[in-house]
Amino acid sequence: MKNITFTCPFCSLLCDDIQLEAKNNNLKLLNSKCPILINSLKRKINEQFSRINGQKTNITEAINNLSSLLKKSKSTLFTGMGTDIKGTKATLKIADKFKCIIDHFSGDSYVKNIKSVQEVGGFFLTLSELKNRSDTIIIIQSSGDELPRLFEKYIFSKETINNLKKRKVVFIGNKLPKFIYKNKKKLHFDHIKLNSISLLNFISSLRNSINSEISEIKDKKIVHLLKLLKQTNYGSILWSMKELDNNISDLIVTEINLLIQDLNKFTRFAGLSLSGSDHILTVNEVLLWQTGFPIRTSFEKGFPVHDIDQFSTKRLIDEKEIELVIWINSFNEKKIIINKKIKTVLIGIPTHPQKKDVDIFIPVGTPGLDHNSHLLRIDKVVSLPLKKIRNISLPSVDYVLNKVGQI
Amino acid sequence: MITKLENGRIYDPINKINGKIKDLFIKNGKIIDRPKRNEKISKIINFKKKIIMAGGIDIHSHIAGGKVNLARLLLPEEHRKYLYSSSNILRSGSGLGTCSSFHIGYKYAKLGYTAVFEPAVLPSNSRSAIIEMSDIPLIDKGTYTVLGNDDFLLKLIQKKSNQKKINDYVAWIIQSTKSLGIKIVNPGGINAFKFNQRELDLDEKNKKYNITPRSILKVLTKSLIDLKAPHPIHVHGCNLGVPGNVKTTLKQINAVEGMPMHLTHIQYHSYNNEGDKKFSSGASFLAEKINKNKNITCDVGQIMFAQTVTASADTMSQYRNHHFAHPKKWICADIECDAGCGIVPFEYQDKNFVNSLQWAIGLELFLLIKDPWRIYLTTDHPNGAAFTAYPKIIKLLMDRSFRNNEFAKINKQAQKSSILSNLKREYNLYDIAILTRAGPAKVLGLKNTGHLGVNANANITVYSEIEDKEKMFENPYMVIKDGEIVVKNGKIQKVLNGKFYTAQVDYDKNIEKEISIYFEKYLGRNFENFKIQNQELWDHGIETENIHCDRNDY
Repeated sequence: MKNITFTCPFCSLLCDDIQLEAKNNNLKLLNSKCPILINSLKRKINEQFSRINGQKTNITEAINNLSSLLKKSKSTLFTGMGTDIKGTKATLKIADKFKCIIDHFSGDSYVKNIKSVQEVGGFFLTLSELKNRSDTIIIIQSSGDELPRLFEKYIFSKETINNLKKRKVVFIGNKLPKFIYKNKKKLHFDHIKLNSISLLNFISSLRNSINSEISEIKDKKIVHLLKLLKQTNYGSILWSMKELDNNISDLIVTEINLLIQDLNKFTRFAGLSLSGSDHILTVNEVLLWQTGFPIRTSFEKGFPVHDIDQFSTKRLIDEKEIELVIWINSFNEKKIIINKKIKTVLIGIPTHPQKKDVDIFIPVGTPGLDHNSHLLRIDKVVSLPLKKIRNISLPSVDYVLNKVGQI
Repeated sequence: MITKLENGRIYDPINKINGKIKDLFIKNGKIIDRPKRNEKISKIINFKKKIIMAGGIDIHSHIAGGKVNLARLLLPEEHRKYLYSSSNILRSGSGLGTCSSFHIGYKYAKLGYTAVFEPAVLPSNSRSAIIEMSDIPLIDKGTYTVLGNDDFLLKLIQKKSNQKKINDYVAWIIQSTKSLGIKIVNPGGINAFKFNQRELDLDEKNKKYNITPRSILKVLTKSLIDLKAPHPIHVHGCNLGVPGNVKTTLKQINAVEGMPMHLTHIQYHSYNNEGDKKFSSGASFLAEKINKNKNITCDVGQIMFAQTVTASADTMSQYRNHHFAHPKKWICADIECDAGCGIVPFEYQDKNFVNSLQWAIGLELFLLIKDPWRIYLTTDHPNGAAFTAYPKIIKLLMDRSFRNNEFAKINKQAQKSSILSNLKREYNLYDIAILTRAGPAKVLGLKNTGHLGVNANANITVYSEIEDKEKMFENPYMVIKDGEIVVKNGKIQKVLNGKFYTAQVDYDKNIEKEISIYFEKYLGRNFENFKIQNQELWDHGIETENIHCDRNDY
């Protein structure tokens, strides 16, 4: 039995202050109440067979079969993409060679962020800037569920370089999250209640009012908030793409990005998108440096073609534009789409509930549990080294895909 | 296996060889004097009528890291314009100014470059930047870590910590981030911008820490000398792009009181503010100062007329310049109590007065700074232009009539404001070899590359003798990397990985206590995870070459 300091791979905060007790590959959490980590460590691996058509087989056979499917397929999609830097590199090497398409679990929401940045840019900050400098924080429609320790570590913390006392926090959105409700007393707190459509109009009006005299503005909510924003020394705006209305989320984020850019005429402001589930940010960064484009990029023509609508996983499967879909998820048991008319492969953790429903299942370990790894944090700046802490002979995604590519 | 390269005309300034026809021998990736009596030569390549230089070295080119990826994200249109297909040995890719990683390597190799240094890696971004660089093949690489705006260092200076403590911190940063050197970007200015200061001249105080850029510049310059680091401090000074900034640049040279300092992309720091438009060339003032101060080296950051994107850690300057964005979109970021970054797409136009004068100022500097060992060819890629513009710049330096023809095309008022057409100097091939290989190798403290002497790595570029120097330099006949032919007749023959240069430096481990408390208290991270371990680099196929901090010529 030994105690281990552990870097958690299960959300994009990559908390590296976790203490675990390890005994015969069983891991007991000693110092965190993070629900994502607790649930992730609860999974019991009873068997770790590869499967073809639901039947148990060995990994060599499964890899050989996947390789044949890949060679035969005229159009292949890699999606899910719950993997690390090396897993993404291995995927891209195959995608380039076999002319495949790449998307991600969080594609539908994250491409709206991408679209907005491609149109107007933005002004961003990293977690320690948020923690140490931000005296005013505007949270737009975010529950924080996907980043359970964000507030504890970076917003409620008392030790800051700028000696921040009580921060001002304004929540703009429909439903006040529990964590804010519980901790209201730690903050100067305000809540502006709005639904998605009103949210778009509100942020847009706020931005349009920035250059106006306060006395000329009629909307009291806007006057109130504008005064606060302009008195701020260093403010930040946080939003969660997944929790905005997907039909207009790109418009909302564009208004937020423009608002932040404009606020810098007067004071200092920066923003952070609370995204990154299933490590889309890691995957996206590797895609950007290796190909020049973000997710939803196809190599079918021999060179990269990026289109956020055309290469959506759901659309490609619904329209049956692909012959083979390879899902990758080394972090959790998130549900995958299975269309019986399309060959489906899952490279996933051994406890995945759909492992018997796909044409080929290849079990893999989790980065930072079963093998050394690198992942990028939510701000895309800090990357963490994760170390193997369990020894149950599960291969990594890059091992599997490199084998597939070699056949 | 020994390869003989015979009959080539050699330009190797480090070994004082100026156009002599001489044979070279390669064994196990290194240059040897000649084979021993019992050794067989297995391959002979005849380079009659060819010109041979060491592989090119780019001392300052933004090829990786968060800012480059942000620029890629911002500009899909640039990437759609330049698309590259995969082949049996090459990966696909896209882009020019922010070219995708594999093609950065391919393009540099095809230009005859074999080593390139990424000059602005923030400490917190080092790990992923280096992993990204492992996907740039065919060239050796290294980084300079950005300091001078990090809250930890500013606090040390504010508390008047002794120089030894600062040196320990600097050495810890170099060692932990696996870099070759330290770069200062707008000393204290990026941090001041986080406190809403919009300008910070050399003697203005940062609001929070009450210290000046001068004090930061002095301690960091001294630190690298005390550490005997391979490369002296690499400085992107105050007031980048501001008319009149040449006065500050001159003061910066005085500020280091004779200590070695490398001033980077000086073109952007050589502006005077005379004339109707309050924008004029300060090149002659700066050149005169550099000519007199032998402790100063520089690279130019030449601009060329084209669409590009500017990417810098200097958030203060990039925010100030965002009004010039073309197309109209830009990104800035405040980063991890280290520094920041700003991405502003930009189109340099020859009809525009300011852009034209910027172009002329860069060339004036090249021609007015007399010692080619102290000035190096850069475009501050991609800020002034993509590095693919180097052959044209070489032609502008070597061919006065071509230069004057190009000068005649720029904005008329800019022509009146520049002395460029009166400058008669023409670089020769020996000068170009200094400017693009020997000089950078010397200032970076690299002893095994940048020359063709015994024990040098066999990084060799072979050019066909062509009158048009742009054509000659854009398409080398052959490029040899570590003894292997990687490019022939403009085509890549083989893809291999270059080395990664890091500086090896000792420090007093006591500094780690204070840093670890700072990390845990303020950054919310375990400081052990900040330190990049060799194993992590090896896992990504990175072969490091350690340069010991034993420079004794400062």
